[in-house]
Amino acid sequence: MKNDPRNPGARQSIDPEIAHHIDLITEDFIARGLSPEEARRRALVEFGGREQIRQSVRAIHTSVIAEAVAFHLKAAWRFLRKSPGFSIAVILTLALGIGANSAVFSAIDAVILRPLPYPGGDRLTVIYQHDIQSRDANRFVAPQRLEDWNRLNSTFSGISGYYTDDLSELSGPLPEKVTEALVAPRFLQVLGVSPVLGRDFTPEEERFKGPDAILISYGFWQRRFHGDPEALGKRLHVGSFYNTIVGVMPRDFHYPNRDVDLWAVSAPDAPFAQKRTETWFTVIGRMKPGIQLKQAQADLSRVQIQLGRQYARPDNELSVEIVPMKQTVIGAVGSSLWLLYGSVSLLLLIACSNIAALLLARTAEREHEISIRFSLGASRRTIIVQLLAEVLGLTLLGAVAGLAVDAAAIRGFHLLARTLPRAEEIALNWRIALYSLAAAVATTLLCGLVPAMRGTRRGLAQVIAQGSRAQVSTRRPLQWTLVGVQVALAVTLLIGSGLLLRSLQELSRVSPGFDPSHVLTLQVSGSWGETSDIKGVVQRVDRTLDGLRTLPGVVDAATTDEIPGASWAYPFEYKIDGHDNIDRRVLADTRTASSGYFNVLGIPLLAGEPCREASTTNDLVVNRSFANLYFGARSPVGHLLKPATDPFQGQIRGVVGDAREQGLNTLPTPTVYVCVSAPNPFPNYLIRTQGDPAQMADTIRRRIHDLEPARSVYAIMPLTDHLADAALENRLRTMLLTLFAATAVSLACIGLYGTLSYLGRLRQREVGVRLALGAMRSEIVKRFLLQGLGAAAIGCALGIALGVGLSRYLKGMLYGVTALDPITYSGVVGIILVVAALASLIPSLRASQIEPVRVLRQE
Amino acid sequence: MAPLEKADLLQGTLDLLILKVVALGPVHGYGISQRIRQISDEVLQVQQGSLYPALHRLEKRGLIAADWGESEKGRQARFYRLSSKGRKQLAAEEETWNRLSKAVSLILQTVP
Repeated sequence: MKNDPRNPGARQSIDPEIAHHIDLITEDFIARGLSPEEARRRALVEFGGREQIRQSVRAIHTSVIAEAVAFHLKAAWRFLRKSPGFSIAVILTLALGIGANSAVFSAIDAVILRPLPYPGGDRLTVIYQHDIQSRDANRFVAPQRLEDWNRLNSTFSGISGYYTDDLSELSGPLPEKVTEALVAPRFLQVLGVSPVLGRDFTPEEERFKGPDAILISYGFWQRRFHGDPEALGKRLHVGSFYNTIVGVMPRDFHYPNRDVDLWAVSAPDAPFAQKRTETWFTVIGRMKPGIQLKQAQADLSRVQIQLGRQYARPDNELSVEIVPMKQTVIGAVGSSLWLLYGSVSLLLLIACSNIAALLLARTAEREHEISIRFSLGASRRTIIVQLLAEVLGLTLLGAVAGLAVDAAAIRGFHLLARTLPRAEEIALNWRIALYSLAAAVATTLLCGLVPAMRGTRRGLAQVIAQGSRAQVSTRRPLQWTLVGVQVALAVTLLIGSGLLLRSLQELSRVSPGFDPSHVLTLQVSGSWGETSDIKGVVQRVDRTLDGLRTLPGVVDAATTDEIPGASWAYPFEYKIDGHDNIDRRVLADTRTASSGYFNVLGIPLLAGEPCREASTTNDLVVNRSFANLYFGARSPVGHLLKPATDPFQGQIRGVVGDAREQGLNTLPTPTVYVCVSAPNPFPNYLIRTQGDPAQMADTIRRRIHDLEPARSVYAIMPLTDHLADAALENRLRTMLLTLFAATAVSLACIGLYGTLSYLGRLRQREVGVRLALGAMRSEIVKRFLLQGLGAAAIGCALGIALGVGLSRYLKGMLYGVTALDPITYSGVVGIILVVAALASLIPSLRASQIEPVRVLRQE
Repeated sequence: MAPLEKADLLQGTLDLLILKVVALGPVHGYGISQRIRQISDEVLQVQQGSLYPALHRLEKRGLIAADWGESEKGRQARFYRLSSKGRKQLAAEEETWNRLSKAVSLILQTVP
């Protein structure tokens, strides 16, 4: 094909044309009387350099840039092949550096940067209401107010809401716990999602007593119906209702949370949904295109003021807050991710300066080659491009290998789905590949540019004239700067991880004030609908508790609203004995406790009596902090407490010890326990067992099934697991940062070691001369050692300055240590100096082990 | 007259010469170099190292076109001819060249 002269595709091939031309010249010579052989030879000579013509014609037909890239990459490949050890070391370093960096970036990209996986996800918001006076954050909204907001606003294309119930589904052979989201009208329209199978609710179905209908999750569809499309139209028996399945939601649809199996309607026109004091819905809204959060906020605040005029209490006491939905989904994990990203970026920088130092040494050794290139007419720019292309070859290979690191890390992220929101959205995609590529290019410039500029700086005449390496400067300040930078960055990371480690250590020393061991936690399904008969719920829960307490192996059982040690604070404002709080507000975290609660958790009773089994909820117990802060030396027992905004009033019956129930890293705050066994229809059961709580799980589950055959038991796990889960993010963050810091320190050591070894080689002759003139070997070791330690010390000082500056970003993550903890800082300095001394010692010793005679003979 | 060295040719002059020769009728590479030499009375000798890159450059710019055809001796050769775009270009360059050489002559004729 290529040689067929008639093929237009062969236009680039000039060979037949050249051949024809040479033939004609040959004939000319033959005509002038030369022999055919001689004529041919002369013709070839006269025609001149064929290869040159071929190349210049090819250059005309191919893109200049592509040609140059191919050329440089080819040269770079030769360079990589020539020194495989060096290449592999650099590629592996970069694979880790770029891979770790892009892995954390993939998490940041999926969790923080990308909009939520709903169409127009950046327009989705969550709308809270606040009590203006007490600042109580009762965020849940009455159905009537939700409908008013939806009707009266002008900035939202729709407002809806939801709450969730943990129920039993009873159409199978055994009751199965399901989580059902009860949604206000327009729920799916607001989210912009439609079922993959079947349809959304019709307006009739969104009315009270309308046709029953339910949407099921993809997971539930697979689990219960094995993905059979015939599931549509089947009826489910959920709690006390029968519902017809009308649709299946997409596989990746998990709103409001991952546990939701079913979506059913909570009709706003139901008779029980008319009171404006009800607190039901978490409200979500979709802003119209082009509307800013501020405009929406102003609009909805105006609507609320209007409602306040219309209805007075409670609407005139409420304000509205709009928060981007993404923010509510991400929560606090953002700062951890940015911290990790900062650390891996520092790590990459260290790797870069490490490689830059290696390259500096190499380009210095290649001075001769470079000078020959100069003398052959290459411009400085060409040589710099060539040197950079070599580095680019390395970084590109590193980035590709980094993608493997990336893939492994992403699998790790998926395992963290319980603590990391949107973890399932983290994936290796073109954005990550592009990011890795960009990182490779940036890395190339960072580590390659300085050595390349440096290596091509000297005039070529000089270098050639020198001919040997004897005159090469041995001071190499740039190399020491790079070592210093590496040490500084490593110290910064070490300070960060040191502070986090010290916090973990402090946390492990903390006495939580309660004993989480040998406690099993679980929940039993129930529905918010049962709250219409709260006495019945209390009786049911008390009956279950009594049944559990009689089980062999069970010490005691109790219920509460929030898992102790892994929950949020619910601060309420109280009035003591009906007095208004003039000089100071009485604020207290408020939680519920059934009888047996303090016994199960081992919280000591200090005065009065603990919660008793009773159907009234007028008994209160306070903790020591509350008693000390608000009663001082007086005994609080017998005094009356009334929430500032609630008609309810209770009497303090007892005082108990302080316990860190909001989390082990939070100091105990003044706390009021309301003595009630059923704060809601699905309280957390806490069961103290004699042996391993996990082994009792089956026995306990069976006992509850006997007592409540129509309900399902779920979330069975030891209390210690809850605590471990709550601490997981912290622990993981610390572990990763420590790993990065250790890597950073080893990289810095390698840099120090490499630079000293290199200088040792360069100064062989000088050392040889010194030894010949009678210098002591120890003197030489000392000189090298001091040089290495000096660079490390300067780097250390810089790193501490940097660490002081950056550690304030850690403030929210520290416990029991300040960001300027002297123990951490001195520990870091100690580690770095010891490690730097070790890394310097070997090359220093080696530099002094020179036979002067051998070196001098080489001259 | 002694042949001029390649470097003595003004930049762009070779392109002009090629266009002019090709304008006389389809011709192959060897023919072009022969004609330039003959017409210029052996003053201008085009090096093959410059000729073929120039031909291909002009072809890429669309000023000349090339076809494989049979030469006078019955061999396959690549014949170049002027495209309509090349014709316009030639006219323009001839005009420029004439003005330039006139101007240069005027300057050289001035008596000090």
